[in-house]
Amino acid sequence: MTITIALPSKGRMKDDASAIFERAGMKIVAVGNDRSYRGRVEGWDDVEIAFLSASEISRELGNGSIDFGVTGEDLVREGLANADARVEFCARLGFGHADVVVAVPEIWYDVDTMADLGDVAADFRARHGRRLAIATKYWRLTQNHFSGSHGIQLYRIVESLGATEGAPASGSADIIVDITSTGSTLHANHLKILADGVILRSEACLVRARKPVHDSDPVVGRILSAVRDAV
Amino acid sequence: MPLINLPAFSAELLADFESLGTLRVDTPVIQPAEPFLAMAGEDLRRRIFMTESETGESLCLRPEFTIPVCLRHIETATGTPKRYAYLGEVFRQRREGGNEFYQAGIEDLGDTDTAASDARAVGNAMRVVANRLPGRRLSVTLGDQAVFEAVVGACGLPGGWQKRLIHAFGDPKHLQKLLAELADPKAAGVFGPEVERLAIAGMLDDEARLVAHIGETMEATGYSTNASRSPQDIARRLKEKMELANTRLDPETLDLVREFLALDMPLAEAPAALFRFAEKSGLTLDGALSRFDARVAALAAVGADVSVIRYRAAFGRPLDYYTGLVFEVEAEGTPAVLAGGGRFDRLLTLLGAKEHIPAVGFSLWLDRIEAAIAASGGAA
Repeated sequence: MTITIALPSKGRMKDDASAIFERAGMKIVAVGNDRSYRGRVEGWDDVEIAFLSASEISRELGNGSIDFGVTGEDLVREGLANADARVEFCARLGFGHADVVVAVPEIWYDVDTMADLGDVAADFRARHGRRLAIATKYWRLTQNHFSGSHGIQLYRIVESLGATEGAPASGSADIIVDITSTGSTLHANHLKILADGVILRSEACLVRARKPVHDSDPVVGRILSAVRDAV
Repeated sequence: MPLINLPAFSAELLADFESLGTLRVDTPVIQPAEPFLAMAGEDLRRRIFMTESETGESLCLRPEFTIPVCLRHIETATGTPKRYAYLGEVFRQRREGGNEFYQAGIEDLGDTDTAASDARAVGNAMRVVANRLPGRRLSVTLGDQAVFEAVVGACGLPGGWQKRLIHAFGDPKHLQKLLAELADPKAAGVFGPEVERLAIAGMLDDEARLVAHIGETMEATGYSTNASRSPQDIARRLKEKMELANTRLDPETLDLVREFLALDMPLAEAPAALFRFAEKSGLTLDGALSRFDARVAALAAVGADVSVIRYRAAFGRPLDYYTGLVFEVEAEGTPAVLAGGGRFDRLLTLLGAKEHIPAVGFSLWLDRIEAAIAASGGAA
């Protein structure tokens, strides 16, 4: 059986992922020209490489149409319900670090924890005639953190696909859930992360779609130990 | 249009509703999603079927009837009191059971006699379930958020803590966590470094200066002071939070709250037990207790079999429009809730009604009732 590994198709994620595989003794070469979206691994005839966008990789892992993928943990956990039942996080690769965090305006002197936010959310409609609005593209992670972990139900999600940090100042939302790596964009927008507001410490991972056929395929085990030894 | 997948007992059920003096109403299957999400919270989004109109309006398949029936009442403005009945399909993403199933129920809007209308809702729910399952013993669980609110209020906690506890009522895990926090002096509130600077500057004791400072900072950092929380909101809650952080519930009071939450007994014994609890604890609960007693008396007056009803003090629903009574009806030997209801005096105002309209109602899970009929071997 041919094992398909999906790698990010561009940018630093692509270079970092290729570097890890090279260190693992799996040198990736593009099929055809450099811009090709297909590749192979030198000396591994039963492995093929697909270059996809990071969010497509999480979706295809969920479908099981690829066997392995390198993508951010945040995208997998956001994109797939019951992620741990459907995929296995095999190795953390040490790049693509980003935290998914709850951030509120710095001027909210009275809000430093999720419990504070719960109080504010509970009262919000009575005071403002609407629910507390959260700008984010992380619907699932936000719901799990707010409702699942902290018992906060009373908020509305306002979908934001870019420049999320600007939403509170512009008035399109009250707070945000977004990724940050250094916190500098949050700071520049006068936002602060809550003390217990880190939802996920994400980084690029080697992720395997859970498929029964993998149990009897020796190539799967060889890929796993090669990558694990390289990180 | 006659639907061939209607539960077999639908006609008898509708006849029951009619004999109970209700007005049958129908609502569109496709509903604006906004009111459901605004009332129940974001969590609902995963459990309903949503779509979008061509113009971008969020729509959903009717996940329940209470909100559509109330909206219809507000729109048609036909005055109160009104007792509406409904029977139709609802659509939810469920882990178990089908995604489309029938619900029926009664919404009783605008009756100002709380005890009588509470009792009528419980009594009607018991009657229509009993009529579908003749010979089966029912069991009813009843709770009352108003009694919990009175207990918390009488404990002398600051307003912020009362709100937190009341908000968590019906969510046992969250409530226990809050009580543990209240008991443990180590778990003080978390304050940022700015608050320390404000304290040094003496601003925390001078609300006017604090409000002005917050307002100026918001202007300077490009935050509009009217789009979200105002400087006054922030200053007021900062004060409240400092109170919260300094509040410890003494062990005796905490034990009282826990003792109250553990109460679980036949409803007939509950008035006396609550009275004894109030007397022993020294908490003043008079208003809530007399309303509780009036409801128990009203239940007997409408002919409900009070002997199958249990009172469980911790039973509630963590939705902020439920205000008092909640109840569930089960049939012995069937592990599913067949009917659930409660009082939601805040809902109609939240949905846009101009005047306050008290409301109580219940809904029946018709698929579960069908299963219960099948399990007892009878044809409906």
